[in-house]
Amino acid sequence: MSDKLHQNLAIIGHVDHGKSTLVGRLLYETGSVPEHVIEQHKEEAEEKGKGGFEFAYVMDNLAEERERGVTIDIAHQEFDTDEYNFTIVDCPGHRDFVKNMITGASQADNAVLVVAADDGVAPQTREHVFLARTLGINELIIGVNKMDLVDYEEGKYEEVKDEVTDLLNQVRFDTENASFIPISAFEGDNIAEASDNTGWYSGDTLLEALNDLPEVEPPTDAPLRLPIQDVYTISGIGTVPVGRIETGTMEPGNNVSFQPSDVGGEVKTVEMHHEEVPSAGPGDNVGFNVRGIGKDDIRRGDVCGPADDPPSVAETFQAQLVVMQHPSVITSGYTPVFHAHTAQVACTIESIDQKLDPSTGEVAEENPDFIQSGDAAIVTVRPQKPLSLEPSGEIPELGSFAVRDMGQTIAAGKVLEVNER
Amino acid sequence: MGKVAANMKIMPHSPEIDLDELQERLEASLPEGAQINGFERDDVAFGLVALLPTVIVADDAGGTEVVEDAFAEVEGVESVAVEDVGRI
Ligand SMILES: Nc1nc2c(ncn2[C@@H]2O[C@H](COP(=O)(O)OP(=O)(O)O)[C@@H](O)[C@H]2O)c(=O)[nH]1
Repeated sequence: MSDKLHQNLAIIGHVDHGKSTLVGRLLYETGSVPEHVIEQHKEEAEEKGKGGFEFAYVMDNLAEERERGVTIDIAHQEFDTDEYNFTIVDCPGHRDFVKNMITGASQADNAVLVVAADDGVAPQTREHVFLARTLGINELIIGVNKMDLVDYEEGKYEEVKDEVTDLLNQVRFDTENASFIPISAFEGDNIAEASDNTGWYSGDTLLEALNDLPEVEPPTDAPLRLPIQDVYTISGIGTVPVGRIETGTMEPGNNVSFQPSDVGGEVKTVEMHHEEVPSAGPGDNVGFNVRGIGKDDIRRGDVCGPADDPPSVAETFQAQLVVMQHPSVITSGYTPVFHAHTAQVACTIESIDQKLDPSTGEVAEENPDFIQSGDAAIVTVRPQKPLSLEPSGEIPELGSFAVRDMGQTIAAGKVLEVNER
Repeated sequence: MGKVAANMKIMPHSPEIDLDELQERLEASLPEGAQINGFERDDVAFGLVALLPTVIVADDAGGTEVVEDAFAEVEGVESVAVEDVGRI
């Protein structure tokens, strides 16, 4: 482990636009390829009488090697710049993984969006940009990749840049927090060194841009929010809710409230890794017990918070969402299942308030009759059962959701406002 | 199509469940196309231990859903969650 500041970096973009190649290139250029892969290459090169360490070799062997790994570390690769230690998450392309990324444990701080110069904005480019927006990615570095395939033409680069800028506007991503770099992950242009092939470009290389990212903001000072995953009865202890703390801290003696079940009490003990702890914070998986709470008083999907600042329960809520795929059109009255933290609740889209213009991000239509795949919209939603949620502007960890229907993820979004019951 | 590693978290019904046997039942329930690369264990609290399998699935339709559904049916499983996903 290095003592540098740490960042989680998501690599996003359409399938085949070069995400894996870019990950390999970043590892290669920063000297982060595992030692034994280099050793193995040396041996093979000696046998065959070839010299030099090739990038192609890294690509072939890293994937194979990772597939055999036994822990989740196989999906998390690391490299360092002068300032930062980065952990890379190469995001799955398919939209059915969106739910996992929304309810998952680790949050990416910033992202690199890979867009192939010869293909431009493609369906997953769109979905991933919206996801990045929903998941609260702060800064986006856009690598316009495969510049070698378009003869390093500035015109082609500008074309893709305009297309992506339109897309960012559509989801209201502040383009001031986005920077564009023409790259070739395969050839290595503008990754570690400024490329002679793009004389018309005078901006940062990718590694410079990564090194210049702002420091990750410290965790919010939001109050305790602990979505309950399971509730147990443990002999000699009593009722034990279990879950992962999203924000705030929990300590014995705290007075807590569970919403929407609307019960509460005093925390007696908090355990983590089978040991009693004086305090637990964000990211900690805990079990605890609360005076006077029975097993049937609370359930999965409840959120635990301080009694004097309890989790919000939505009578209705307003949200911004993007429709990723739907066989027909979505009209008011539609009732799919919303997945947010540990809760899964059927919710009715009560009204479609605004549809957003793809090119400007401005409101294109008030109260449209319907929305369909590819549309971004502001909607008002009524949960069919009580549901605890928070505005993403206040507590982002409790403010995003995935929408599923017919076994598919059809939309993702974030909560703008909660009208409490 | 690439492959995706998912870090899943299985909570048992109670602290009394035999985790070695639970692990075997989970392996046996795995749908076609998915693969378990290994199991880790996480001591949670009050004797409860979570099983954390690393499951490899294809990066295409369905995501982790089929595996989640299969695991949820296994005897002794209280809940199934996906903690983390990433392409390998
Ligand atoms: N010519 C060229 N090919 C590239 C470049 N980056 C990636 N590729 C190729 O594009 C294909 C898809 O790349 P891959 O990294 O697997 O894409 P992913 O699905 O986004 O991870 C592979 O055949 C790569 O060799 C590039 O900069 N230039």
